[in-house]
Amino acid sequence: MELSIDRLTKHYGHKIAVDRVSATLTPGVYGLLGANGAGKTTLMRMLCAILEPTSGEVRLDGKDVVGMGAEYRDVLGYLPQDFGYYPSYTAAEFLSYIAALKGIPRERAAKRVQELLHMLDLSAVADRKIKTFSGGMKQRVGIAQALLNNPQVLILDEPTSGLDPKERVRLRNLLSEYAGNKIVILSTHIVSDVEAIADQVFIMNAGQFIAHGTVQELARQVKGKVWELTVPSEQARLWQEDFTVANYRHEGEQVVLRIISDEEPSPDAALCEPILDDAYLYHFGAKEA
Amino acid sequence: MELFVLEHKRLWRTPRVLICVALCFIYSVLYGGVLSFQWFVFGSEGEDTTSPYENNFDGYSVIRDYQEKFSQYGDYWTDETFQKIVAEYESYDPMERPGLQSMGDWMVAQSFLNHLYPELEDNASQTYQPLILYADTEKLTDFYGKRQWYLDFNIEVARQGGLLTEDDIDMLQEMNSQIEEPWKYEWTQGWNYLLTTALPNISAKIAPFLAIALGFLFSGEWHDSTAPLLHTTKHGWRKLARVKVLSGLSFAVELFVLIAGGMVIAQLIYFGTSGWDMPIQFIKEIAVAPWNMLKTELFELAFTFLGVIGYAGMTMLFSSLVKNNVLALVLSLSITYVPNLLGRYLPLWAQEVSQYLPLVGSPSDIFRMNVFHIFGKGIWSPYMLISVPIVIGIVCIPFAIMGWARRQKV
Repeated sequence: MELSIDRLTKHYGHKIAVDRVSATLTPGVYGLLGANGAGKTTLMRMLCAILEPTSGEVRLDGKDVVGMGAEYRDVLGYLPQDFGYYPSYTAAEFLSYIAALKGIPRERAAKRVQELLHMLDLSAVADRKIKTFSGGMKQRVGIAQALLNNPQVLILDEPTSGLDPKERVRLRNLLSEYAGNKIVILSTHIVSDVEAIADQVFIMNAGQFIAHGTVQELARQVKGKVWELTVPSEQARLWQEDFTVANYRHEGEQVVLRIISDEEPSPDAALCEPILDDAYLYHFGAKEA
Repeated sequence: MELFVLEHKRLWRTPRVLICVALCFIYSVLYGGVLSFQWFVFGSEGEDTTSPYENNFDGYSVIRDYQEKFSQYGDYWTDETFQKIVAEYESYDPMERPGLQSMGDWMVAQSFLNHLYPELEDNASQTYQPLILYADTEKLTDFYGKRQWYLDFNIEVARQGGLLTEDDIDMLQEMNSQIEEPWKYEWTQGWNYLLTTALPNISAKIAPFLAIALGFLFSGEWHDSTAPLLHTTKHGWRKLARVKVLSGLSFAVELFVLIAGGMVIAQLIYFGTSGWDMPIQFIKEIAVAPWNMLKTELFELAFTFLGVIGYAGMTMLFSSLVKNNVLALVLSLSITYVPNLLGRYLPLWAQEVSQYLPLVGSPSDIFRMNVFHIFGKGIWSPYMLISVPIVIGIVCIPFAIMGWARRQKV
């Protein structure tokens, strides 16, 4: 299975939301990283064939997904960024309704709904109305509905928003387990979410992929550009003004800064091993990110 | 089928819809039906009144009294029946309370006198008194001949005004010739209220509630942010649209059955079935339709039913074309309220055209002689008014489905 994105572009008037984006995705987990407004959601909507591109196309195994219509939607699972639900429905009813819309036969749907409720720790509240749920619980219902049809292409737009740390770990594990021979694309601006599970990461800015690769590859791109420097705490602010500071840690009266810089910021600075956060900040700068 | 059941269940469980149904039932059946029968309209007039309508809360027994009283005049309307009724009114002191209205059927007798026997009016009198209080009963003869004369006179006025052609007149006279004489007669006031007020008003009462319930059917998905999700499901485009339309139509039918059924049950409790075979000419003497009260009631119910379906179709179309709930609601309400509010400012042709909109026209045209001309052929107005709204609604349905499908790109 191969999902290919070919020079996908979306204009809103004179504003370019997505600009000639291309990629070829095979089974695995893909993380899409970018600041708010980078074009992630627009790209995801085009990948779901619910937003018409200005130019370019998305193909699944060589077939244009727009032309595939129901055939594509049959293998697609999608969690929109602003996940809407029916307040008067219970979690189980909502999932049954979406299962019917996905064309899943009733008996199979009933079984799958129970499975997912269990998997997402919602069994105990299955018969409670969604309007009484916390943000995290609603988000889990959203993830469950995306998984109902066991989709070959799973697209999750900001799936971790509203989830507490424990729930985020659960989701990561669930997606890692689920991916197998499927294509999972998740967008986020939280680096650690993709760092843990993504096979490939795309960093997006101003509607374009500005970097992509495995977590290690991306981190390697900034090797030799990540420094640690210990300075008196009163000087920390000055360093932050001049450099991209990825981390800021107090050690007694001193502050240890993690600086992203092409040049050695100070003779006292020591090179350190980069991580994905550093790569992300290298491309965006601390303020923009 | 399963999707339809789930969608329909969802519609019925929406709090807004439940509130609408409850209010519609209270307003139409309880207020417009039960309370009107028991209190506002048929409650007896008296000194010790319990409502601003100055009626007592005793409609049920008053109606029984009327039915019993007027059954004593014989089964058919003849000159003798008419004379007996007028004579009884003349023996009544108009200054007494309860007033003349409390004697029942006074309006029909007064209307017959005014229209068919105008020569009996005392034009010299300085003070107004209803003709029914002083008409010479000896001269109340040839009732059916007088009625035919009055009908011919009105038709001639319409012909001279360019409203009726010779073909129209032939058609109307042919209908009129089928009215059997003498007319069956029982107490008419109950049927009169039902067929001219209670049942025609159902349309106006259902419309706003139907608009609120169905106006959000499609647009609500944008409001709830569920549209992007639905559009990525296998059946979320056209099939869901079809299911929504079907669910909306089913809801409209169910609402109609609830309201109309409630009214019919209230009617049966209060009036029973007596008088069902009286001609509608007791309601308007120059009506040409050879129809009895029951047939007319069925027509009015069918008129409202088809209007409700047509209105549901239009409402769902608006809902599918816009993403904003308020706009969908305003557009839906405008179907009925714009013609009603602005009607008087519109040119005559526009007023006539607006009557074709669902739940705008009135089934009361059954009592009139209006004729529409389509490609030179005259068609009696009730036939047009009952059929065009449903056609409009049906035409709207595929566009509603396409409108929703067109909005697939979000």
